[in-house]
Amino acid sequence: MKRKIVAAAAIAATLLGAAACGSKTDNSPTTSASGAVDGKGKTLKVWLMIDAQSGWKGVVDDASQRFTAATGAQVNVEYQEWANHLTKLDATLAGNDVPDVIELGNTEFPKYVFSQAFAAINPADYENSGTWLQGLKGACDFEGKTYCVPYYAGARVLIYRTDLFKKAGIAAAPKTYDEFLSDADKLQATQKSDAKFGAVYMPGQYWYAAMSWVKASGGDIAKQDGQKWVGQLSQPSSVAGLQKWVDMAKKYSKADPTKNENDQAGIFAQGEAGMFYGNAWEQGAAEQVKKDPNDPNSKLVDTKVKGKLAAAPMPEIPSFLGGSNLGVTAKSQNKQLAAQWIKYFTDSTSMAGLVKANALPNSTALLDKAAADNPTIAPAALAAKSTWFTPNAEKWADVEKGNILQTMLSDILTGKKSVADGAKWADDQINTTLNDN
Amino acid sequence: MSVVETPATRRTGGSTPHRASGRATRTRRRRQGSGLPWLLSVPTLLLLAGLLGYPLVRMVVLSFQNMRLRELISGRTPPWVGLDNYTRVLSDSVFWTVVGRTVAFTAVAVIISVVIGLAIALLMRRVAHGVRMLMIVAMMFVWAMPQLVAAQAFRWITDSDFGVLNYLLDMLPGVHYQNHSWFVNPWQGWSVITTLVVWAGIPFLAITLNAGLTQVPKELIEAATVDGATFWQALRNIILPILKPLLTIVTTLSVIWDFGLFTQNWALRDGHPEPEYQTLATYSYTQAFGQSRYSLGSAISVITVLLMLGVMAFYIRQMFKIGEVD
Repeated sequence: MKRKIVAAAAIAATLLGAAACGSKTDNSPTTSASGAVDGKGKTLKVWLMIDAQSGWKGVVDDASQRFTAATGAQVNVEYQEWANHLTKLDATLAGNDVPDVIELGNTEFPKYVFSQAFAAINPADYENSGTWLQGLKGACDFEGKTYCVPYYAGARVLIYRTDLFKKAGIAAAPKTYDEFLSDADKLQATQKSDAKFGAVYMPGQYWYAAMSWVKASGGDIAKQDGQKWVGQLSQPSSVAGLQKWVDMAKKYSKADPTKNENDQAGIFAQGEAGMFYGNAWEQGAAEQVKKDPNDPNSKLVDTKVKGKLAAAPMPEIPSFLGGSNLGVTAKSQNKQLAAQWIKYFTDSTSMAGLVKANALPNSTALLDKAAADNPTIAPAALAAKSTWFTPNAEKWADVEKGNILQTMLSDILTGKKSVADGAKWADDQINTTLNDN
Repeated sequence: MSVVETPATRRTGGSTPHRASGRATRTRRRRQGSGLPWLLSVPTLLLLAGLLGYPLVRMVVLSFQNMRLRELISGRTPPWVGLDNYTRVLSDSVFWTVVGRTVAFTAVAVIISVVIGLAIALLMRRVAHGVRMLMIVAMMFVWAMPQLVAAQAFRWITDSDFGVLNYLLDMLPGVHYQNHSWFVNPWQGWSVITTLVVWAGIPFLAITLNAGLTQVPKELIEAATVDGATFWQALRNIILPILKPLLTIVTTLSVIWDFGLFTQNWALRDGHPEPEYQTLATYSYTQAFGQSRYSLGSAISVITVLLMLGVMAFYIRQMFKIGEVD
């Protein structure tokens, strides 16, 4: 124990010591991305998430080249892993040598915007800012100013095995939720001999999915009531949605109730499930895997389900609009350069590159063109038109990191708690977390 | 201790001191050369103060403030809140559940690993030389394996989709363990964690206790056997009393290690342990770094240090006792 505590204390102390030297950043002016900036001899430090490296490194390099040609500044991009990236970010932000541009998931942004980690930007400097996806932009707004730039989005769709559908005599993707259930029944019936087979792969802690079912029934996670946030999961419509999700998962899914969706594409690729609910790009992730997962340039290898997958919008279930935003750090020494780089990386040229790599663009105006240009993401682009977003509360990220929804879902799925009890427990936890000061 | 005393003993003239003169030298040494030992320990003390003392002080200070992400990033001094963090922690039933769970786990894991460790050490005395070497080498491998790697391996073994454990159990006739999740039921989950901790803890215990057993005079055992003592009688009346100081030390060490359980439950639960898999260490970490309640996490750590201090005091006292016997 002692060693661990001391280590934790040492980290905390380092953070504290470093933080003491930091500068105040209150009321800093809005950073402009227009006009010429001379960046000769300067190097911009950019933190992007790993998806950019594995999915669209070419787009990053192209934007950086155009940026360097215009400003003369060099760009150093570092790619981060999703697991525990916030812990690393906290430690870095406490110091003075911080990255100039940082990518965060859209649900993670409000906490950092509120904590004054990012500098305000001027939306008018960026292309398509009038039509930015609301689910991404909402996370950037705070007290009338904008603190980040929408980067890309993902909407979840139903990904299914065409060969198994054919075998079960199903002609097309389901158009209604009832059809989805009856298709699952048919799949289950044709694969009866395989004890490991589940018609739907739905891991128990997949809260983006479960909450979509809640939204479909008219429920909600939390609502703002004056200054306070109030958990809404124990409201009748939310409970109905949870029940609907639990009934479906219990009947058709063989997935581990204590797992989340992080490796669902890989597990689905083993061929023991008929459908799963995932991001558009997860179809590709299920069909092909890198021979050496640690090497971004490694060869792709086909899996068992290669060429047997198709995607469609999940009928009657609105999708969670996931995605990422980019912000200029408040402590950056090169704020204007940082804003310029973001401008290049989020303009229409870069967005076209993202669409090619199966990501959704940051603007509603580009969605239809994306669907036409890249048939793979057409279902996701369609799904992106009916989406929902997590409560825009300062402490929302703590609800996610506190595993509140995940724990509740595991508990009600395994019967440890009834749906009503689980929802009540989650509401209590959400109330304490969101209203904590 | 004896190393320190040698020069002093020599200074008295090299005569073999009997008990009384020995005590006299010790008092004289304390009176005369009290400056030099301190001077010699200055580097160590400085290092300890820098590496352990400073963070510890900062942690205690932090626990009386309310530091959140905003203060962390801006560098402003967090507001002082007095004992608020402590009242909040100590009045929280979740915290006490975590304390209870950590204590229960420690008790179970320590008892199992010490008993098995001792049993293996006894076995090592009885097997042929070659077999003993093989056992030591095998245990060294276990010992050398980093905790995180071992935990990751156990996570894969018990994985519900790909795990080899489910695969093997499922081969038994009439048993259906396909897609069985080992962490739905906390008793099963904790069995996996305890197995991992015990497995990784045994090498140290067995090898140390084996070394201790070599100090048990063979003649005593032989004499007891001639007198008709059974193995259990010999174990209880001869081996254990001789082994007692060593046994106390390794048990205390195991308590200290197991009480700080972090890596194993953290990795087996994929970095987000559910409430029923939280121990004091993970709980404090989640509060501080997951939820950005740095001060609350510090308060939990301070309380944990105080809890551990009891065990530590026992351990240090035992160390000195052994020193005196020498």
